Amino acid sequence: MDIVDQLHVMRKLVIDGSNTSGFQRSMLLGQEGEIETSEGPVSVVDLLLEEESAQRVKEYDGGVRYSLDRLGIPLVEIGTGPDIRSPEQAKEAAERIGMLLRSTGTVKRGLGTIRQDVNVSIEAGARVEIKGVQALDQIDDIVRLEVGRQSELVDIADELQSRNASVGETQNVTGVFEDTDSGVIGGALDDGGRVTAVPLFGFDGLVGREIQPDRRLGTEFSDHAKRNGAGGIFHTDELPAYGVTDDEVSALRDAVDASEDDAVAIVATDPETADLAIEAVAERAKTAIEGVPEETRDATQEGTTRYLRPLPGAARMYPETDVPPVEPDPSEIDEPELLTEKVERYQTEFGLDSGLAEQVAYGRRMPLFEAAVDRGIDPTFAASVLESTVTELRRDDVPVENIADAHFLAVFDLVADDELAKEGVNDVLTVLAEQPDLSAEEAIEEAGLGGVDDEEVREIIAGVVERNADQVAEEGMGAFSGLMGECMGELRGKADGDTVSDILREEIGKRS
Amino acid sequence: MNPGDRVRVERGDTTSEGVVMPSSTSDHIVLKLDGGYNIGIDREAASVEVLDTDVYDVGEAGEPDEEGVSEIEFGDDRPTISLISTGGTIASTVDYRTGAVTAQFTADDVLRAVPELAGRANYRGRVVANILSENMDPTIWQQLAAAVHEEIEAGADGVVVMHGTDTMQYSASVLAFMLDTPVPVVFTGSQRSADRPSSDNVMNAVCAVEAAKGDCAEVLVCMHADASDEHCALHRGTRVRKNHTSRRDAFETVGRSPLATIEYATAEADGADGEAADDAFEFTREYATRDTSDLALDDDLNPSVELVKFTPGMDTAAWDYLDDADGVIIEGTGLGHIHTDLIPRVEGLVENGTVVAMTSQCLEGRVCDRVYDTGRDLLDAGVVEAGDTLPGTAKVKLMWALANVDNPADAMGRSLAGELTEESQPWE
Repeated sequence: MDIVDQLHVMRKLVIDGSNTSGFQRSMLLGQEGEIETSEGPVSVVDLLLEEESAQRVKEYDGGVRYSLDRLGIPLVEIGTGPDIRSPEQAKEAAERIGMLLRSTGTVKRGLGTIRQDVNVSIEAGARVEIKGVQALDQIDDIVRLEVGRQSELVDIADELQSRNASVGETQNVTGVFEDTDSGVIGGALDDGGRVTAVPLFGFDGLVGREIQPDRRLGTEFSDHAKRNGAGGIFHTDELPAYGVTDDEVSALRDAVDASEDDAVAIVATDPETADLAIEAVAERAKTAIEGVPEETRDATQEGTTRYLRPLPGAARMYPETDVPPVEPDPSEIDEPELLTEKVERYQTEFGLDSGLAEQVAYGRRMPLFEAAVDRGIDPTFAASVLESTVTELRRDDVPVENIADAHFLAVFDLVADDELAKEGVNDVLTVLAEQPDLSAEEAIEEAGLGGVDDEEVREIIAGVVERNADQVAEEGMGAFSGLMGECMGELRGKADGDTVSDILREEIGKRS
Repeated sequence: MNPGDRVRVERGDTTSEGVVMPSSTSDHIVLKLDGGYNIGIDREAASVEVLDTDVYDVGEAGEPDEEGVSEIEFGDDRPTISLISTGGTIASTVDYRTGAVTAQFTADDVLRAVPELAGRANYRGRVVANILSENMDPTIWQQLAAAVHEEIEAGADGVVVMHGTDTMQYSASVLAFMLDTPVPVVFTGSQRSADRPSSDNVMNAVCAVEAAKGDCAEVLVCMHADASDEHCALHRGTRVRKNHTSRRDAFETVGRSPLATIEYATAEADGADGEAADDAFEFTREYATRDTSDLALDDDLNPSVELVKFTPGMDTAAWDYLDDADGVIIEGTGLGHIHTDLIPRVEGLVENGTVVAMTSQCLEGRVCDRVYDTGRDLLDAGVVEAGDTLPGTAKVKLMWALANVDNPADAMGRSLAGELTEESQPWE
């Protein structure tokens, strides 16, 4: 990636209120990069550094309330070129970028910290921007389902064209439903609403055609009606139903001069909204004859998408005059070790197995792990505490998020100095999680693990052997593993396993 | 290659295409890319090919045209408000293609920048100067006062002066001394430049116009009353001070509540068709009402007045340059003091005919030099107490008094335009 010689901060106008200044500060940092995927390179068109917007916390009649704590958090925006060819490559490219970002060790992690917008088009389709893709492993599904949607829409358009389909004038058809048993329509009329309709000539059977799982062309129409304030639409492909009778459907067709080959869509709500919504449906239906509309869509939980708004116009930008240009010096930046490289190094250099190596490298405590290893802590021990032990404790509802990095390092040091047995680490960390104000030494006391010397250990072990004298006499060293468990039960955390096992061996030896 | 040309720049492995922008440094080419972003490219390392010349006119913003007075009318029943500009950025617009921000000053320019002004009044636009307000000086004050006088004489029912915020308080004060006005003269500006969507310019301009249509015929400053876009405050020009470097509500009436607060939503709605938006105004005190004064202009000024702030340890050489001044305002400590050793120096100035008046760097409260020895010595040396006059106001007042009244020293001790209040009442 080529870093720009001189960075210019720009103001990108944002008028939805999410930026208190009315603009978002943004700068172009790098251009013309590339990332590798197994299906070939993907170009990175640009890399921007900008400020995060404020978070919407509440919408009410008078406007929107924003919380300012998120405003101004640094945001890196990376734009890939339109040269990704398959759903799998999209996912892989996103994973690769995610890995690169996390390799810096300085990116924020957690919910909402990474957002992906996916642009998809197929031949004869159109560029569709899908916003709000939260999870990486959804990307391939989303791409696949969008490709499916677009090809269905292309098919529908071909069919409509061959039928010479057209969209008629929108009309008020309230009269048809004056005595309706439909709760939805009747309710709207009782509230002083009206029913508006648009005849869709040649659309019969196509409005109800599924284009994504559980989404039909009619659902697209409905999205547009909803954007204009309506609750949704009914169309003849799904009627009679919802309390609308066969007679009413026939009367509706008659009212708008529609035949059996045609479809009719209706909206029932307050007069103003009904007019706007039916116009929006008519517009969308006209586009259906032409093909796939360019638009911005919202990803759903299921991996399908719904209409959000038209594609954004070229953002209006002008210079941020409060901030002078900056001349970056990339030579001052050390390239971080990639996480993929870390995983390998952890295996070869530290002897971690591949699962643990990956867990540590990609985990949020990676910098802490490195710090621990740097001060001479055994890597396997550090890795298992930071990953397995912590996970274990969390499952036991220990508030592990309270344990600070300094706590971990102090515990590691105490183990390294033989002040704490490895077996006591769980208990000490539990105490630290519950009482984060304590030092590690205090936590050892609090956990009741302090002050057991070798003499006492020997006494306790001798006691265990004594109680099981018969078994020892009978089995000799064969009793070892059974007694080891009993000894550790009494000594957990007070003495490490190696010491216990040595002394136990000696004590059994004395008796057999 | 010139600013405005469309070029292709090759630098290393990267090729960029865009329009050349003016650059503040010679070693970088600033390019506006098609996506809207500007980037700087090392001039030496780059090879440039000009694709097209003069795609956009990105020349420096020129001086406003000498158009004199411009007018916009919305109907006979509406009051006439004169919009006078001295160069504040309250009405500036952005060219998104080039990023250039230009200040706009004719009446229709102002209306284009602040469409909310349309219909509230008939407007006469007039440019007195196009300067940053830090560059304000006494000759421009005189031109400004003369322009306001002419506008009122020509029938303006109120005057709005669009002014930079840095020195607005000085200009408002000096006009209060120079002018007797039967109509409101309202200064306004914006703390946030008008090219930002979040600028305070619209609300300040609308409230200022409504104030100019109103009944309070004084020289006023109209700016945000707090950080929200809900209320403007109306300050008496001689009692106002910019008390914050950047906040919207930087302007405060020192020592008191503002003369009035204006509820923006009400002012905006009630005044939209030319009516006076009386319900939006809440006055806290008496004020001079419309048409009680006869229009008069006394615009002589004696610029030979210095404002000197006393601080512990200051080099007394700083007082040497005061020798030739006709007037000196001291910004003293506490009740109005300076180092005892400096008192003979002050005595010398007074003996030479310089008028020396005392104000306090406390800003709040009034000078009283009868309490402590130092003060009494200062009074003996001939210092005039300026009461609770603000130091900046005292400076322009003395400039005006030296040129317009028989006994300027005496005038510094009494109120001429509301700058010196009778009593300092606690207020909530």
